[in-house]
Amino acid sequence: MVTKNVPVEAVIFAYQVGFGDCFLLRFVYADDSQKHILIDFGTTGLPDNIADSQMTTIAQDIATKCAGTLDAVAATHRHADHISGFATKTNGKGSGDIIRALKPKVVLQPWTEDLSLATDATAPKALAHQSLHAHSLGLQSLQTVAESVLAQLTKNRTSFSASLAESIRFIGEDNLANKSAVKNLATMGKKAIYSYHGGPSGLAGILPGVTTLVLGPPTLKQSDTIRKQKSRDPDEFWQLQLRKLSVDERLLGDRDGLFPGHPSSSGGKLPMSARWLAGRLRDARGQQVLEIVRILDKQMNNTSLILLFEAGNKKLLFPGDAQLENWQYALSIEKNRDLLKNVDLYKVGHHGSLNATPKSMWAAFDHRGGVSKKGRLKTVMSTMPGKHGSEASKTEVPRKTLLSALKSESELHSTDTLNRSLLFEEVHIDLR
Amino acid sequence: MSVNTQRLTILAQDPSVRSKGALVLAQVDVPSESLAPGPMGYRVKVVDFDATANRLYSPRFYDYSPDGQIVDPYALPTTPLNATARRAFDDKLLADPNFHAQHVYAIVMRTLARFEYALGRRTSWSFSGHQLHVAPHAFCEANAYYSEGDRALLFGYFEGKRQKTIFTCLSHDIVAHETTHALLDGLRDRYTDPSGPDQAGFHEGFSDVVALLSVFSLRSIVELGLTGGKAPIKTLNGLRLISGDHLSADSIADSILFGLGKEFGQEMDGVRRNALRRSVKLRPSVKYLKDPAYAEPHARGEIFAAVLLWTMLQLWVSRIEQLGTFGRNRYNLDMVIDEGVKVADQLLSIVIRALDYCPPVDLDFADYVAALLTVDREVAPDDTRFNYRDVIVDTFNRYGIVVPDAETDETGCWHAFPDNEQIVYNKTNFESMLRDKEEVFRFIWENRTILGIDDRGYTEVISVRPSTRFGPDGFMLRETICEYIQIVELFASELPSALHIERPEGMSTRQRVTAYGGGILVFDQYGRIKYHIVRRLADTLRQSRRLEYLWTTGALDQSRDNRNHFAAVHRERAQIQEGA
Repeated sequence: MVTKNVPVEAVIFAYQVGFGDCFLLRFVYADDSQKHILIDFGTTGLPDNIADSQMTTIAQDIATKCAGTLDAVAATHRHADHISGFATKTNGKGSGDIIRALKPKVVLQPWTEDLSLATDATAPKALAHQSLHAHSLGLQSLQTVAESVLAQLTKNRTSFSASLAESIRFIGEDNLANKSAVKNLATMGKKAIYSYHGGPSGLAGILPGVTTLVLGPPTLKQSDTIRKQKSRDPDEFWQLQLRKLSVDERLLGDRDGLFPGHPSSSGGKLPMSARWLAGRLRDARGQQVLEIVRILDKQMNNTSLILLFEAGNKKLLFPGDAQLENWQYALSIEKNRDLLKNVDLYKVGHHGSLNATPKSMWAAFDHRGGVSKKGRLKTVMSTMPGKHGSEASKTEVPRKTLLSALKSESELHSTDTLNRSLLFEEVHIDLR
Repeated sequence: MSVNTQRLTILAQDPSVRSKGALVLAQVDVPSESLAPGPMGYRVKVVDFDATANRLYSPRFYDYSPDGQIVDPYALPTTPLNATARRAFDDKLLADPNFHAQHVYAIVMRTLARFEYALGRRTSWSFSGHQLHVAPHAFCEANAYYSEGDRALLFGYFEGKRQKTIFTCLSHDIVAHETTHALLDGLRDRYTDPSGPDQAGFHEGFSDVVALLSVFSLRSIVELGLTGGKAPIKTLNGLRLISGDHLSADSIADSILFGLGKEFGQEMDGVRRNALRRSVKLRPSVKYLKDPAYAEPHARGEIFAAVLLWTMLQLWVSRIEQLGTFGRNRYNLDMVIDEGVKVADQLLSIVIRALDYCPPVDLDFADYVAALLTVDREVAPDDTRFNYRDVIVDTFNRYGIVVPDAETDETGCWHAFPDNEQIVYNKTNFESMLRDKEEVFRFIWENRTILGIDDRGYTEVISVRPSTRFGPDGFMLRETICEYIQIVELFASELPSALHIERPEGMSTRQRVTAYGGGILVFDQYGRIKYHIVRRLADTLRQSRRLEYLWTTGALDQSRDNRNHFAAVHRERAQIQEGA
């Protein structure tokens, strides 16, 4: 079958994965042939009335839609809410097994996911291997931190308030190493591409008539060109956190505490003069742990691929969960800012959180406008309110102010408003 | 020591700074009071609870001498100790949580007393209460911070790179730095609000400066900084001499005196090599203010600290140069130390009392310079001997920080209030105006038109503070400092009509915006206005600049976190390193 070189339509299937992302992007050509790229497939929380088998159902639907052959997979970053669906099962019936059987030609991931970095020098020559290696180690360390925090949470149930413990658990679990999914992604494609700002997408021959630009993540070297301060070696920071957690573990339940031989009393028998502050300190400590898991969550988000697809006269932007620090490098370059001005479809970053849609970029979108605006911007968001952040601290996801702007200035398609009987929301973009 | 003070032993720096292998200890004067176990006093309540270990370490019960003075349990014995005995003494000290508690208590009280001396009055914490909690071993974390929400200074501990436990509470400068955050917050509560890059950086920079200058009052550490622990040359008549090679600006800038938080930095495995930074290495240049890298709060604060530390260095070196030499390029070490102690002490007073003349909201560094010059002129009209003000203003200028032209006179001081003849004084009571917020508010309300106060905003008098200060020549200055703020809530769509400013690009018309204004009224001893330092609600340029900054940095959408504000700033600093 001859495929015409230019697609005439793009269809985005935004699957109902609750708190997570799963988008099947289909390009339709003039001769009705189709190409498919799956962008992320994960969840960390399904809506209450949705069956646990949802991920398998979605995988089967994807298999049907692409008629048994998936052209490409892009896994924007390693968070569970973006890759958990790629996990396999020993019986070969996991959702990841179904996707694997679709034999994607290319699996595109951020450079930080290149598992061979530590031992193999096949990474792009333009990059400094040492930095890459350090960063890769940093990601491993931060996942170990997440594991350690969750282990302590389980062991010491009464340390923190229930709401604080729930927040820590939610973010912590998203950051746990998902070995099965990671391994599947590394090996399922005929070709594995690990990319960075300005790097290869590997999709040129796979998606005819579509130009795929990788705008993020920047390498450490690229990031450091736009600021005076250099990033600390990430591994150092996380190693310090690991040491802290090991001290936590050692001290908890130790009758002497920090000062062997010095008289002390335990938490439940404090003199009245100390009780108020002791309660505050326990709470402050819980918030610190939450802050640490937030930092590691953000660091992982900032390894997200930012992909811009140009097809026909349209542009489709998929930034994963990239937050400000990831965007900063791309937006510091004038050519990129110009490129992004006339985006036609925007996949809302990080489920609608505070720092994932840079205000300057949103303000520069030319196609923003009211319902009567010709060629009005389309936005697509996969989210589930009530899972992440809080309204009191203005960190709720999706953020109310962003949601208001998305509704008033774009045609918003959000999975959280999807009828529970539907598996996906469908968005059509005419590329002609 | 007077009857109003008592002496307690502290570490002059931190456990890593040693002289001939021994800890550098100092006995310092703190206000005399009857302490409850903790120690707990009238302004500070040390509670040694460790949230990580979930344990409260028992406090010490102090003994008192017959004259009512505390018996300092950690004072060095009067008979000299040999090296082994001294090592044992030091080890015992560091392993005793009650010494840690005494250390933080004494430094907090000393810093508080220093502020009260400079301001000429009692100072309050920002929360409604009299005692600041201090937790010397709050939890395992490589951080120490002031938490307004917890009414507390929280000091963490962590395992250093040699598996040794590092206590942030044992660092003199970290304790002084955190105490300064608490004191500054009590004096200017709105400075933790998002506003502009300068205000964000001011808290950190100012606290660094106070921490660094405070150390100069401890002669032992000044001597160690200059000599590096080497014995000075002694003359026949007992003078102790130091080579001029150690007294150049570069040499002093590289010493421990200007780069603090040694142990903390060394033990962080490269994560945070300098707790309080060596800002003085940021040599004068106008480039920093315009550099986007210095828009971040901690980097911005470094500029502020650099100006004042560079000023300190210049003044000290200049005074050293005026001392006579003894033989070939040799100076009297004790006189060199004397000069350093004096300059730091005077500069510290100048730096602290400037706060009284700073606007209550939206501070920028240029405002601070005008405030500093004005209040110093009031307290010390004659500055011809050492020209402090000239050196200070010149140094600020060399960093590109210039007083706001329209609001200041030819000397860089705020304009004196020009409209006293039109002010209605007879509807308020002079005595009440010295302390009563209600009376001052009535005065403001009656005179709002002539004072140019916009009555669309919600106006509140935050503080009324009588002050009595003595200048270096014994000159006494009596004033009353009144602080009021104004708040107005509006939708972005109202910005052009209400404040005559444009809505930032991309901001929804329904975005809620809070605009702030406010001012400082300085009354003289006769109750007449001397200065009105004002930030008007209708200041188009300022409001526009502030809103643009908050919008582009995302700060407009952030809620105030009175527990984690400083914790987050410090933690963020831990994740970056200074450029090469």
